[in-house]
Amino acid sequence: MVATTPGAPPVRRRRAPRDEGTVTVGRSRTGTVVANVIGVIFSVLMLFPVYWVLNTAFKPADEVLALTPTFWPKHPTFANFTSAFNAPLFLQDMLNGLIVTLLAVAGALVVGFLAALAIARFNFYGRKAIILVVLGVQLVPFLALLIPLFLMLQTASLTNSLIGVSITYLVLILPYTVWTLRGFISGIPRELDEAALIDGCTRAQVFWRIILPLTGPGLVATSVYGFIQAWNEFIIINTLNSPAKQNLMAWLLQNQTTRGTAWGPLMAGAIITSIPVVVFFLIIQRNIATGLTAGAVKG
Amino acid sequence: MSVVESPATRRTGGSTPHRAPGHAHRPRRRGRQSAATPWLLAIPTLILLAGLLGYPLIRMIVLSFQNMRLRELLSGRTPPWVGFDNYTKVLGDSVFWTVVGRTVLFTVVCVIVSVLIGLGIALLMRRVARGVRLLMIVAMMFVWALPQLVAAQIFRWITDSDFGVLNYLIDKLPGVNYQNHSWFVNPWQGWSVITTLVVWAGIPFLAITLNAGLTQVPKELIEAATVDGATPWQVLRNITLPILKPLITIVTTLSVIWDFGLFTQNWALRDGHPEPQFQTLATYSYTQAFGQSRYSLGSAISVITVLLMLGVMAFYIRQMFKIGEVD
Repeated sequence: MVATTPGAPPVRRRRAPRDEGTVTVGRSRTGTVVANVIGVIFSVLMLFPVYWVLNTAFKPADEVLALTPTFWPKHPTFANFTSAFNAPLFLQDMLNGLIVTLLAVAGALVVGFLAALAIARFNFYGRKAIILVVLGVQLVPFLALLIPLFLMLQTASLTNSLIGVSITYLVLILPYTVWTLRGFISGIPRELDEAALIDGCTRAQVFWRIILPLTGPGLVATSVYGFIQAWNEFIIINTLNSPAKQNLMAWLLQNQTTRGTAWGPLMAGAIITSIPVVVFFLIIQRNIATGLTAGAVKG
Repeated sequence: MSVVESPATRRTGGSTPHRAPGHAHRPRRRGRQSAATPWLLAIPTLILLAGLLGYPLIRMIVLSFQNMRLRELLSGRTPPWVGFDNYTKVLGDSVFWTVVGRTVLFTVVCVIVSVLIGLGIALLMRRVARGVRLLMIVAMMFVWALPQLVAAQIFRWITDSDFGVLNYLIDKLPGVNYQNHSWFVNPWQGWSVITTLVVWAGIPFLAITLNAGLTQVPKELIEAATVDGATPWQVLRNITLPILKPLITIVTTLSVIWDFGLFTQNWALRDGHPEPQFQTLATYSYTQAFGQSRYSLGSAISVITVLLMLGVMAFYIRQMFKIGEVD
């Protein structure tokens, strides 16, 4: 990727169109072309499995099980999707998954943000101990806790309930949430806080007017990841709940075992299962990598 | 409500004589705060972690010194105490040590490959044209959005021995016969598929997070260095990477945690019944506990896994503390 030869004079060119934060000095044209080609190849490789699942899902059964796979469905059909949608418990499990995931993410974000704030912005006795706890619990393989967790939730009458799974998922994504948000909050210069305090803001106002807005991209990125984690989970919900109280992922798993290798309906079910996450993702995608703090101190 | 101005509030707010009443309760002084505030902020998190991670963890340790089978689970009776029996059984088992070695090797390879590619892609994203960057982001967003289980099933379908497209494509190479080739007979090949799957699925998080970190690198620094004659490699080594280091450490740590706990991918690719050569510590413990109803033995394996993890991660936790001090 080192495209410019050492010591080569920076290529003069017309003022590049305004591009947020991109450095244009010292970049050769051939280097840019090579980079673009690599970028396109990378994208194609990444997308191939996604393309292939779509390709398969719209094929009729005989085309799916063809010895010479076709790269486009010759007779596109929705049959695989209708059979997945009409399957028992599909819609129920879809709703369950959404409820459980949203509860967990919202809870983790609120609870985790407060803890992240404490770690990132306050110097207090016990701060290191909290960091150690937050880091340490991430090492615990959550699946290992399944047996004691099951016994505990059963005592509290929270097995076979969406609440029990929501709380479990909340705790599952909480350490990551705290730690990542801590990083984002630390990224906000303390000078901003201090300037606001000098200008007469209360600590609460500093939180609402400076830290919260500037952590926006971090909150989005963190919640997206939390959503993915909770939506993806199937082992815990499969162990704690009966099929009527499970999510789509667990449904997909059971569907897979009963149908064996019925690839068409399986891929269709997989697409439907992925749609909520993909849609959610694409809506908020533009917020993820915006560096809001860039230039905040200069201004 | 009458506001009696203390000297401290007068010092911070003295320049604004007519303040709104709501502003009365301001901090006594800039830079100092109540000692209880951070604890109040952290307490909900601590309660949740203690209740749903700490307590089960203790129960798990207790369980590993008992002999809990299906009968005790159903009847609710206290399982008999067996001391270190479960541990001697596990630690004396060569199968267990093979699983440990395999999990460690997989983790090392996977983390190195995915972090390097993730960093490379993040840097590449700064270099390409706007349209290409958008394409890359869209591609990665789709991959990132895909649930692990779905991704694993797609890979299972692509590598299917009879109708998989991978065999079809490789078979087209001159002189290669890959018809009906099974990818999971040879464990090295099987693990290549699993590694590819995990790296492929891990790149979006790594690349996009690191790219977000790259936007924090002051472009004036890079421009100044470039004007002064620094090569792109020097800029990367001496400016970009040092600034990015805390973030790289964090994502590497997370990658280690996730990859060491590999479960979904090898479990799903082997259709819920991983053969011995495709077991990792997570699936091994799970199979012992839930497949064979040896709950205590599974717990003992989990305890050992946690201890191993602590050993592996001690270095990283120290790194984290170093960063915390720099902050």
